[in-house]
Amino acid sequence: MSASETPLHSGGADKRSVASTSTGKSAVEFRAAIAFLIVIALIPAVVRNDYWLGVLIVSMYFAILTGAWNLLAGYTGQFSLAPATFAMIGAYATGLLCTAFGVPPLLGIVAAILIAGLTGLILGRIVLRLTGPYLALTTLSFAEIMRLVASNSIDITRGDLGLAVPGLLSSRIGWYYIFVGVLAFLLVALYALLRSKAGLFLQAIRDDEVAAARSGVDVVFWKTAAFALSAAASGFAGALYAHFAELVTPELGLIGQTGLIVSMAVIGGMGTLAGPLIAAFLVYVLSEWLRDVGGYQLVVFSALVVIFARFFREGLWGLARGAMQRWRRS
Amino acid sequence: MSLLSVRGIVKRYGGLTAVDGASFDIDAGELVGLIGPNGSGKTTLLNILSGLAEPDGGEILLDGAPCHGLKPEQLAHRGVMRMFQLTRVFRRMNVIDNLLVAGRALGLDGAEALNRADTLIEELRLDAVRALDAGQLSGGQMKLLEFGVCFMVPPRIALLDEPFAAVHPTMKEIMGGFIRSRHEQGQTFILVSHDMPVIVELCPRAVCMNAGKVIIDAPTRTVLSNADVIEAYLGGQAA
Repeated sequence: MSASETPLHSGGADKRSVASTSTGKSAVEFRAAIAFLIVIALIPAVVRNDYWLGVLIVSMYFAILTGAWNLLAGYTGQFSLAPATFAMIGAYATGLLCTAFGVPPLLGIVAAILIAGLTGLILGRIVLRLTGPYLALTTLSFAEIMRLVASNSIDITRGDLGLAVPGLLSSRIGWYYIFVGVLAFLLVALYALLRSKAGLFLQAIRDDEVAAARSGVDVVFWKTAAFALSAAASGFAGALYAHFAELVTPELGLIGQTGLIVSMAVIGGMGTLAGPLIAAFLVYVLSEWLRDVGGYQLVVFSALVVIFARFFREGLWGLARGAMQRWRRS
Repeated sequence: MSLLSVRGIVKRYGGLTAVDGASFDIDAGELVGLIGPNGSGKTTLLNILSGLAEPDGGEILLDGAPCHGLKPEQLAHRGVMRMFQLTRVFRRMNVIDNLLVAGRALGLDGAEALNRADTLIEELRLDAVRALDAGQLSGGQMKLLEFGVCFMVPPRIALLDEPFAAVHPTMKEIMGGFIRSRHEQGQTFILVSHDMPVIVELCPRAVCMNAGKVIIDAPTRTVLSNADVIEAYLGGQAA
């Protein structure tokens, strides 16, 4: 028998192996995420208050951004500090196309996804060889440069006064279900990505780039692809938000917004599917409840991030999984 | 034509010449021991052969075609697989997924990759830990796992850097048996090890390096009885 004729099992893939792959683990997370999203979709049946529907819409905006950042940082290990910046780029892209060139909003949103994705691709190539604090600082610099450009290009963006953007529809419930639909679509897309070989490669890169390359993974291609996909999804969220709020300001790209996204992912559990989604709602709704205490709400979130990063590295999802395992054993 | 030709490879780090004109050929199906004292340039040479470092001089031919300067993933696709001295596995991924990464990256479809992973897990006796994350394995199990990764798709040449270092004798026997059987089937290896009994047992031929140079390339027993080799290892005490 030649070296290439390794003995194989005669049948299909061994069931034990299939159950043991990450596919099996992420299937449980996916089911939990879908169940949570169904609950979110049912909320308007009992909550009719426009203010709280608005809070939940913005929660979904952050859930999309957290999911996009989780793909890059949680699954690929690229700790970027620019997720809010890509949302801002998407928002300005559709806003400017609609106001300056008369592009229809739907086409503006598609263009925003492409422009944010392309910007992410370029940034991904630039920071390709950077890791850890160097990557974080470079992306933070990029984020601040982009925000300052938006803030100071008053002739184009109207700076801090904000750019008025045409709306898509006036119904808050309509917007609610647009965001539910987009969130569900991106969740399914992320799950499909993680189940594919691309998901394996991204996680391999997160764990050890050299070992991934040794195994035949094209590290440059997949890292760049993760940057572009994450940026495109963030741009999508930003573009939707622009038409929902009918206003775009440089505040969308504030580092505080990125801090919120990072805290949602850390509290939910980086590198898990359901955790950051649930945490996005918990954190944003909690931030609304704590609005009256002003700046102290940041103290609460910062403390939560420190506690989770120090004691519960797998976040809320890790805690829930651990509790389920203990319950099954008992 | 040799499967792998190493011709006059030079690698310098500042004032230090880590590899100094190393040359040798390896034919398909050979199992060659690469030995030498610490700091002799073995790992640097493997880094160059696996695309992790670029040589400052010389050339490497794989099947007669130059391959120096290619990236590790490009070399992996050409059949050059490397096992590291300091174990490199995907710690937050389980044993099966660690194997699947190489299988899928090197062109196997999902079902075929799973079958191969199962076969390797059985052969390397990792059944009990198949669903555990690699970071939860013992040092020896991690070595076995990385060893398995190199054979998810049978490579043209496997570069094994100290596979037996700090490994339990049972696991050493598993790896030794695997290497022996694959060698009998025609697999080509370069095996770096300080474990001379294993080198003698497994490798018909050995290349010895010292201070970046190849000092002898001959049948293993001849190499180990060579005065220069003894001098290199023992610093002249045996002379």
